[in-house]
Amino acid sequence: MVGLAGCKAAPPSKLESKTITFAKHHFFVGNKSQKNPLPDTHENWQDGKEAFSHYCVACHGMDGQNTGVPFVDHISPPIPSLASEDVQSYTDGQLKWILDNGIRPSGMPGSKGILSDDELWSIIVFLRHLPPAGSQGVPDIYTH
Amino acid sequence: MKTKFMLLVLCVGMIAAGVFAARTVHAQDAPKRIEVTAKRFTYEPAEITVKKGEPVVLVIKSADVAHGLRFRDLDLNAKIDKGGTAELKFTPDKTGDFVGHCSVFCGSGHGEMTLTLHVVN
Repeated sequence: MVGLAGCKAAPPSKLESKTITFAKHHFFVGNKSQKNPLPDTHENWQDGKEAFSHYCVACHGMDGQNTGVPFVDHISPPIPSLASEDVQSYTDGQLKWILDNGIRPSGMPGSKGILSDDELWSIIVFLRHLPPAGSQGVPDIYTH
Repeated sequence: MKTKFMLLVLCVGMIAAGVFAARTVHAQDAPKRIEVTAKRFTYEPAEITVKKGEPVVLVIKSADVAHGLRFRDLDLNAKIDKGGTAELKFTPDKTGDFVGHCSVFCGSGHGEMTLTLHVVN
């Protein structure tokens, strides 16, 4: 029973969260200096929004802020809002690294090969200008 | 009589020359058609060589699900319905190697579905 309790998807403590967040930003997530080759244009933002809608919305919602994701409060570690300081303080290069490789053991999968480099960089353009929370509705998969 | 005959020959000659010239121009302008099959997660052929300034039509047929083909550097994008065909018409105006990607999400290998276009002089 003690062993099973250890696997329970309980929220991490504040200390655990802060430690892991610090370690990710400063040690684990690489590629800090790479710049986004795509300019910050509306067209690239639209491309990013479309690419995001194919693959990311199941966990992050249409708005990147978890709107309509039913398990968002039942997973550990919790799925962060992509508008949060923790996420936005990564450099573009680090965000690309996360999209390519995922983050163990958060459940965030790597997308290299599933989405093209162009699509991944355009997603980063989208992430830098997320729409207001709730403005994009709920992902289709959760409305049937 | 002889003058009339000469005029007739001249007219026929001019008309024939006009038709021939028109056909020649038409043949020169006719775009090169290249058939491409798109299927998870490849294009067949995966590499194409075309000439700069020569009009081209890529006739892209999907053998399974919906696909796309986008050359960002050439500002070209085509979307192909499931089992359907789409045409991408263009005249390359610069030489180089350009990599086109599938622009419609088609599954786990979507990000590696590419077609390389070699544009030569």
